[in-house]
Amino acid sequence: MMVKLKTRRSLGGLVAIGLAGVLTLSACGGETTVDNGAAEETTAVEAAPSEETAAEGDGSEAASSDFPAPNGGELNLYNWTDYISPDLLKRFEAETGITVNLDNFDSNETMLSKLQAGGANYDVVVPSDYMVAQMIDLGLLQEVDPAAFPNGSFIKPEFMDVYFDPGRKYSAPYMYGTTGIAYDPTKAGGEIDSWVDFFDADSPAAGKIGTLNDQVELVHAALRAVGAEPCSVNRDDYVKVEKLLLDWKPNVAVINSDGVIGRMASGEQTVHMMWNGAFTRAQADNANLEYVYPSEGLNLWSDNFAVPVGAQNVDNAKIFINWMMDPKNIGEATNFVGYDNGITGSGEFMLPELSASDAVIIPEEFKALAAPVPGCSVEAIDLYDAVFTSFKK
Amino acid sequence: MITKKRGAAGQGSWWAGAPGLFYLIALVLAPLVVIVIYSFLSRAKLGVGVKWEFSIAPYVELFYSESLSGERSFDPTYLQIFGNSFLYALITAGVCLLLSIPIAMWIATRPADRRTTLIFLVTIPFWTSLLIRTYAFIIILNDNGPINGFLGAIGAISMPIPMLYTPFATVVGLVYAFLPFMILPIYASAERFDFRLAEAAYDLGAAKWTVLRRIVLPAIRPGIIAGLVLVFIPALGSFLAPELLGGGKTSMIANVIAAQFGASRNWPFGAALSVMVLVITLLVLLVFAVLARRMSRTSGRSSWEVLL
Amino acid sequence: MGAALTVRGVTKSFATPEGGEVHALKDVDLDVEDGSFTVLLGPSGCGKTTLLRCVAGLETPDSGEIMLHGERIDQVPVWKRRVNTVFQSYALFPHMTVERNIAFGLEMDGISRKDTIDKVNEALQMVRLDGLGGRKPSQLSGGQQQRVALARALAKQPEVLLLDEPLSALDLKLRRGMQLELKRLQRETSITFILVTHDQEEAMAMGDQVAVFDSGEIVQIGAPRDVYLAPRTRFVADFIGEANVLPAQWSGDSISIPGFDDLHRSLIVGSESAGEFVAVRPENVIIEQAESGNGTVIEVLFVGGLLHVEVEVQGSTVSARQSSMVAESGWMPAIGDRVQVGFRAGSVRVVEA
Repeated sequence: MMVKLKTRRSLGGLVAIGLAGVLTLSACGGETTVDNGAAEETTAVEAAPSEETAAEGDGSEAASSDFPAPNGGELNLYNWTDYISPDLLKRFEAETGITVNLDNFDSNETMLSKLQAGGANYDVVVPSDYMVAQMIDLGLLQEVDPAAFPNGSFIKPEFMDVYFDPGRKYSAPYMYGTTGIAYDPTKAGGEIDSWVDFFDADSPAAGKIGTLNDQVELVHAALRAVGAEPCSVNRDDYVKVEKLLLDWKPNVAVINSDGVIGRMASGEQTVHMMWNGAFTRAQADNANLEYVYPSEGLNLWSDNFAVPVGAQNVDNAKIFINWMMDPKNIGEATNFVGYDNGITGSGEFMLPELSASDAVIIPEEFKALAAPVPGCSVEAIDLYDAVFTSFKK
Repeated sequence: MITKKRGAAGQGSWWAGAPGLFYLIALVLAPLVVIVIYSFLSRAKLGVGVKWEFSIAPYVELFYSESLSGERSFDPTYLQIFGNSFLYALITAGVCLLLSIPIAMWIATRPADRRTTLIFLVTIPFWTSLLIRTYAFIIILNDNGPINGFLGAIGAISMPIPMLYTPFATVVGLVYAFLPFMILPIYASAERFDFRLAEAAYDLGAAKWTVLRRIVLPAIRPGIIAGLVLVFIPALGSFLAPELLGGGKTSMIANVIAAQFGASRNWPFGAALSVMVLVITLLVLLVFAVLARRMSRTSGRSSWEVLL
Repeated sequence: MGAALTVRGVTKSFATPEGGEVHALKDVDLDVEDGSFTVLLGPSGCGKTTLLRCVAGLETPDSGEIMLHGERIDQVPVWKRRVNTVFQSYALFPHMTVERNIAFGLEMDGISRKDTIDKVNEALQMVRLDGLGGRKPSQLSGGQQQRVALARALAKQPEVLLLDEPLSALDLKLRRGMQLELKRLQRETSITFILVTHDQEEAMAMGDQVAVFDSGEIVQIGAPRDVYLAPRTRFVADFIGEANVLPAQWSGDSISIPGFDDLHRSLIVGSESAGEFVAVRPENVIIEQAESGNGTVIEVLFVGGLLHVEVEVQGSTVSARQSSMVAESGWMPAIGDRVQVGFRAGSVRVVEA
């Protein structure tokens, strides 16, 4: 039932089921397998340095001798669907003797409502940036201080003092990505380098345009296109946004977050709002595709590990989060999901096509454009809802 | 369910029905009560969940909204979405009906052993999830799909006919999803139909169409009504076809409700929308019930006015 | 009076589920006088109902012609034939009242509302169901439903009314009553009736002419009395009334029946060429006590005013029937008695095999 809420995390799950054969997207699913194989080989060969790194970490943090040592038991992980490599989890279990129980959610809101309802009993959850802030605000997270973990030193500087958790008292970085525009310059009929171009009512790509079925991302982008800030509470901005969207709607072929990779790879659509991780997979099949960092700016989202209040296995949660901050481990995680992560030194464990991709690793010149958007107020959410409902009417 | 008559043969004592009553309350009524209660509450601090404070705001929101420019005025948006859903459900039920009558009649007139096989075939789509079946239609209706491929190959078209991500695709998906729910009850009625009645009608001078209309249709009416209810109501709340096949461009009410519990973070409003769906569904059922009763009374009436 | 219905060379076969073929009608001819009451008689599966359905238009003959008052109708669709049927199952429309059932056929003819009302009431009166028009068929007894079916067909004033075993579902007493009723209706309406039945007594009682069917063919047709008295074949003799059918052999001017004295040609009915069996009705069999007789009593049944006696004569069983009054006068046959069996003069008929 939750298809609408499917997000960037489940990049190709449905596509693989539904379209792989016919739209000749087999490469998408197939390559993942190959990638995993390659990643494991890498792991095997370079196992020694990695352990060394870990040991070093332990050594340097000798002062914090209160960091727990693995002692069996369980870990209840609540993560996005298809958002962590099963092989990686197996290795974690093998190395620590901790049994991982994995549950999946498909939106921050689902996760939040489950935790609010109580009795969910998770040890580690994976909220996005703005959700971390809201959960802290609601008193749902434990202050476990990941920055002080043995591997806390690997957190990239720019992921340390984030708006939603300054100093990383509650959360540790996992993946991050951007929501930009993918297009095929050879077929789209014109150059695209901004949201204004994307939402152009007279777009030459009319009828071949797709967008994510994501209220927040779409309205964020539309607000930027009309020169407003995301989460604006100025109603005038939304009058403009509504007009922009309704004028643009006749050009739109599809509003759907699933199957984007397939549609772009096959050329069914030539312009699409897209997550960068999905883009790299589509590009693997269609080399003409380009990922645009729109000039008005774009959403830099990130997901994070956190320990909810009421967690039964806090020590194991800490061990898991620390383990995941190991550059080798998180690099392997990146290879599975296709997004870059917030850990220093993980690049050398990443697949070359990922570490070399301008879509995955934000080029210097665009770094200023990609900024996190703090969670909108309920007032803004209402306006988002109104304008999105009107758009999809 | 529970009878006051005591000691009647085979009826047992009143508590024999208790488990049934319990399940009815626990599994059917309780969730509905929760929805109704939620619809009269306020939003939680960040919109996820509810605050236990009475409010009729969700219902006001159904019809009135602060427009984007700030005035509070009548807002037909949700009525329009209800209208959309209603229309789609109506078209779906209608198309299913038109397709199902011949199919069901055809199956009902096959030899008994083949009927079983055919009915079994009708149920095959249920073996896979609706999601997969809906995705199959993405492939079928695609610009590069088999239909356009075939038409292109025989030279009937030079450009692919756009079918996917259109209202047509939505209807195709809905009809496909719900067709068995129409075929099965109509077949159940048609199977019991005494084809000698059709012969008698022919014999009395009725041509084929008249026989169908005057004799066969009234006989399979219970199946038709059951089928219409079984198709219309779930179609009203369907979710996948408009999103995946319709391209998400025209919301049905279920999509809007889902959004309220997700990104739009307005649980009480989502609950109020659900209550509206519930009310509309009950109204539709009521109309069907009245219609069914009146039709059976009409044909049973002795007064000549009805006939003439 | 002319011919209401003429059937010429009608043939009809059905495929069986096993892939075989059943010849339901083999080259059937039939003439039905206008205003007559014709009965098609035969055991089940003999083709009589198939012929009726061909006339009605519910089956299409493989070949042959069917003419209604001189016009070919075998290719005319069922709903355009001026022929109506009373079905064995009655086939009343369950969702319509009695009135609407009867009115249905009239509506199909485009008859005006006022006339429809009149005709429906007339038909109800005719079958003596006045006042029940507002009921549903399910609220009527079997006999009443039967009358509705009749009224429904009669209201259309068909040129020929077809009745497919209309009385078979009724109990015996009701059946007798309805037989008279049907005769009366036929006389009053002077509509041509063709009735199918497997009940030979019913056929005898009702038909102006009886057509006897056997395996898809009409083996004999004629007035009931003629058919009864002069069965042409062994089958007819056996099927209509009761008959003792015995093998026989011609030798010169006489015929020999095993166990009996040879009979001279002058004592028997039917020609030499007619066949190798003789048929004798049980009432024409005479038995007398005789120690040196040709038969032995094997069964005695006392049925009301009649005594049924079964006698074995040279391996054949011969049924005799005599008034039980006769027995009062003295001898009462008993099982095991030796008896002399004979036939009344002129009662022995030669029949085809």
